[in-house]
Amino acid sequence: MSDVPPLPPDAEQSESSGPRIGADEWVARSGERSAHAGLVGRVSASYERVPKAAVFAFFVVLAAMVPLLSAQTANDQYFLRVGTVALLFALLALGLNVAVGFAGLLDLGYIAYYGVGAYGFAMLSSDKFGIHWQAWLVIPLVVVVSALLGFLLALPSRRLVGDYLAIVTLFFGQIFYIVVTQGYRVSLLGLNNDLGLDRANWDLTGGPNGIANVDRFNFFGLTASSERAYFYVTLVAVVVVFAALSLANRSRTGRAWRALHDDALAAQAMSMPVNWLKLLAIGLGAAVAALAGTINAALLQGAFPDDYNTQVLIIIYAMVILGGAGNLVGAVVGALVVEVLMLEGLRPQTPLSDWTSSGRWVVYGGILLVLVATIRPWRRLGAILAGVVAFGVAVHLIVAATTAHGADGLLNTGPVSYGDGGWLGWLIRHWLALPADTYATGTRAPFNAALVLLIVLVLVLTLLHGWARDLLMIPTIWLAGFVWETRLVLEASGPTRLLLLGAILIVVMTARPQGLLGKPRVEVV
Amino acid sequence: MVPAVRAVELLGYFQDYQLTWSFLLDQLVTGVTLGSLYGLIALGYSMVYGILKLLNFAHGEVFMVGGYIGYYVLTWLGGATDPKLPIGIVIALMFATAMLGAGGLGVAIERFAYRPLRRKRAPRIAPLISALGVSFCLQQLAVILFGSPPKQYDSFAFDGGSFFEPITIGPFRIQRMQLFVIVLGVVLMALLTVFVARTQTGRAMRATSFDIEAASMMGIDVDRVIVVTFLIGSMLAGAAGVMWGLMFQNISATVGFQVGLIAFTAAVVGGIGSLPGAMLGGLAIGLGQSFAIGYVSSAYQNVTVFVILILFLLLRPSGIFGVPAPQKV
Amino acid sequence: MAEPLLQLRGVSKAFGGLQCINALDLTVNEGEIVSVIGPNGAGKTTLFNLVTGMYRPDLGDILLDGTSLVGLPPHKITQRGVARTFQTLRLFLNMSVKENVMAAAYGHTKASLGESILRLPRARREERETNELAAEKLSFFGQRLMGYRWSQPAYSLSYANRRRLEIARATATKPRILLLDEPAAGMNPVETHEITELIGQLRQEGGYTILVIEHDMHVVEGISDRVVAIDHGVKIAEGTYEQVATDPRVVEAYLGTTAKERT
Repeated sequence: MSDVPPLPPDAEQSESSGPRIGADEWVARSGERSAHAGLVGRVSASYERVPKAAVFAFFVVLAAMVPLLSAQTANDQYFLRVGTVALLFALLALGLNVAVGFAGLLDLGYIAYYGVGAYGFAMLSSDKFGIHWQAWLVIPLVVVVSALLGFLLALPSRRLVGDYLAIVTLFFGQIFYIVVTQGYRVSLLGLNNDLGLDRANWDLTGGPNGIANVDRFNFFGLTASSERAYFYVTLVAVVVVFAALSLANRSRTGRAWRALHDDALAAQAMSMPVNWLKLLAIGLGAAVAALAGTINAALLQGAFPDDYNTQVLIIIYAMVILGGAGNLVGAVVGALVVEVLMLEGLRPQTPLSDWTSSGRWVVYGGILLVLVATIRPWRRLGAILAGVVAFGVAVHLIVAATTAHGADGLLNTGPVSYGDGGWLGWLIRHWLALPADTYATGTRAPFNAALVLLIVLVLVLTLLHGWARDLLMIPTIWLAGFVWETRLVLEASGPTRLLLLGAILIVVMTARPQGLLGKPRVEVV
Repeated sequence: MVPAVRAVELLGYFQDYQLTWSFLLDQLVTGVTLGSLYGLIALGYSMVYGILKLLNFAHGEVFMVGGYIGYYVLTWLGGATDPKLPIGIVIALMFATAMLGAGGLGVAIERFAYRPLRRKRAPRIAPLISALGVSFCLQQLAVILFGSPPKQYDSFAFDGGSFFEPITIGPFRIQRMQLFVIVLGVVLMALLTVFVARTQTGRAMRATSFDIEAASMMGIDVDRVIVVTFLIGSMLAGAAGVMWGLMFQNISATVGFQVGLIAFTAAVVGGIGSLPGAMLGGLAIGLGQSFAIGYVSSAYQNVTVFVILILFLLLRPSGIFGVPAPQKV
Repeated sequence: MAEPLLQLRGVSKAFGGLQCINALDLTVNEGEIVSVIGPNGAGKTTLFNLVTGMYRPDLGDILLDGTSLVGLPPHKITQRGVARTFQTLRLFLNMSVKENVMAAAYGHTKASLGESILRLPRARREERETNELAAEKLSFFGQRLMGYRWSQPAYSLSYANRRRLEIARATATKPRILLLDEPAAGMNPVETHEITELIGQLRQEGGYTILVIEHDMHVVEGISDRVVAIDHGVKIAEGTYEQVATDPRVVEAYLGTTAKERT
């Protein structure tokens, strides 16, 4: 080896002297320091010093105490059921996180594995085929079958670019639903009679009615039959899966998944078998989903197709995205928030929504929270809130003065019941102008128009800046309250809640793609 | 052919009437009609994917909204039984408003759900999830605003049912409605082809679909091209929505998702990103579905569509007209 | 004469109508540092892509230690001992510096997912070894990628540090031969000097055989045992730096000829 080109005359080589830009640790770590400034920063800094296992144990203990707390209330069974369902969703969100969060694969057929778990359990532990195997046998069997199914279904698409994987998995989810709802008249191409079989067709899945009378969990003679038992079963499942996935994330496989997520081509060049890793991620997610499915089937004592359709898929996605894809804690938090606040808190006439005054605390609290989180200087926030209140009161007074019954409607408290809503209701009724005799009688058209206007205003808000935006925010927030009280709260069956979930997906992606607890990602364009 | 038919007959699988030529031709006609419809919707998917590499899941809902707009215009003009204007004008108005409304919706979706993500250089997965969210939101909004029971076009009542009378063209028996759908579909697709091939904007669209960065550096207003793409694709979908309502008598909030999936398959099978591919794919899927309904079972028609998709993805993932893209390192 | 470590025999590759590589023969012996030079578009990165399995050659064979690499998937080729860096830098930006390097150790570790979750002995042992391997490979660059930097995300690194990280990551695959694609691109003279020394050290201390694509002739001159010049997918010269730099065909490829010289 000959001449190394000479260094330019002004190059420094000493390690001593003062800070060097770009090479000095203090400068490089300034980001960390600013993150730990302020009250929130100091709290999060001390939180980071606590060993994660201790935090984990703390929350597990907290969760384990929930049944004890709920036993003190009058609606013990209800609260236990809500808790169990919330934990079940947490389990599902954790499983989805493997493919979507770790490996960055859009698995839109995830719901099918949940269904496979439930139907598998239902077929092997019910009167359907007269098989009554015990849970300790059925659960692992169904979980393994589901994982294999995930492998097999991902196999043809392993070489496809991410978009195509989304397509194929989406279709598998659809096909599962069709197969399960049509599965009550399955035959060999219609040739059963010709082949001498005694039945023209078989009822394999119970069709749209599903499979009922499914056994409870039975472990070597111990049967789990109370709500409380299933709460603890699901809690144990969440704890085990959370721990397993945490460990997986830190392992060589977890690193490989994250590498594949960042740059699949580079990962391959760095010795990682990308196709196999994709299959593994989807298979593992399928296994977790199937576990959740078995629990659901035993809990409901049945397997019903509409628990495993695209709507539920979107719900799970909303949970993962809201919590932060790739973050296991985020998945659990997202699941709890969505299930408790949105799915149950907004459902009319349940013990939970009685607490939340038919979801009013959730809706108005949610709007307030978003405002507080996004409008920075306190003064500006205060001005906007004052404006909102003043606007509402002004509108109310004007309408009350100019029309008869234009502003003295009652609040909706159930599908067809109305009440004054206590002190919160008094505030709301005097802030809004609820026309009596109109929304109560079911004429929807003007309030549909108000809903459309609200959507338009919200979209326009995203286009404005500065004081114009602040100004428009005032009537928009008022209108949101109005539309909620006159139109959306009446939808007892669910479109409102689902609409909000769809909106969560859009808003999180456009405003904060990393969700609540995720870390912002940097992408190679 | 005859021995094969005999063998199949002997298996007892097919019903007697299914083994006639006229049944086959009927299925063919149905297939082409469906294909025309799917092709119109598939074009929207293909165009958007070609430029943005985005699977616009919300496109099916745009189709659904078009159908609803057509319904409301029809009702406003008196309905199928008692139209206030001549039927031809009523239908023309239905199509015009549906196409405009759907086009507007498509442009709005792009502007508010996808463009912010483009600006932020978000990961590929983000607009896909946003699209899912939009699709879901639109579905639920449709249920809230329009109610869940399907809205009846009642197109059978048009002109005393003459729309569904079959006419004979050569060996084919085709209903007037089917002929209308096929012809209108072909006309719209032809207009699009001419637009893309001959106009300045069409050239810009093609350039942008090859290389979006290079196009912007060559002075093409990429944002405007994208808006036009969404506009045209959504207009076609809106037209397809009215066609659906006319053909199948009603429109519901859930039809967008189902039909959207099928049209989407058509786009992929034909080669996503390719316009002739979308049209051909639509035809292929329409025929496939029609034959599945006729010869297999209507319960599993979507399964058949899916099997076609899987076969294509296994054997020729780029579709019929797609070009396999080598990855540049 | 020992068998060459890497051998390309009559390799051709075309994309559509464009013949990117045309009947190329290339050998790299163990312990050598060979530079590949040529004007832009000559096919140099395509050459790397062919060797690493991203593309499959239309004709010809690529041999590592006498066994053919053609048809093997890229990760298997890397596991056999061929590692590369990328012209445009392809780090795992959202992973930490240390994790980038540790991830590349996948190919020579065996613990399955189950073993990792249950923290069985083999998984724990391999994790420890991978940690040590990453520390060792990163320490190659002095203090620049050490200490607190290990836990920083890769996107927070400066350009030159990113290039170094990519080299460190490639060495973590325990390769026999390193393919460096324009390692000095975008570097200032001080950094270029460092890289030149570094490549020498890689051979000396690491024992790697190195195939380098480079445009900066100072670097090429400083490191190469042999230089191969390629233009339009064809080898036009081969030899020492002095021989190749003065070869008229090479001069013509880079600078062109005047009309007078051509006649």
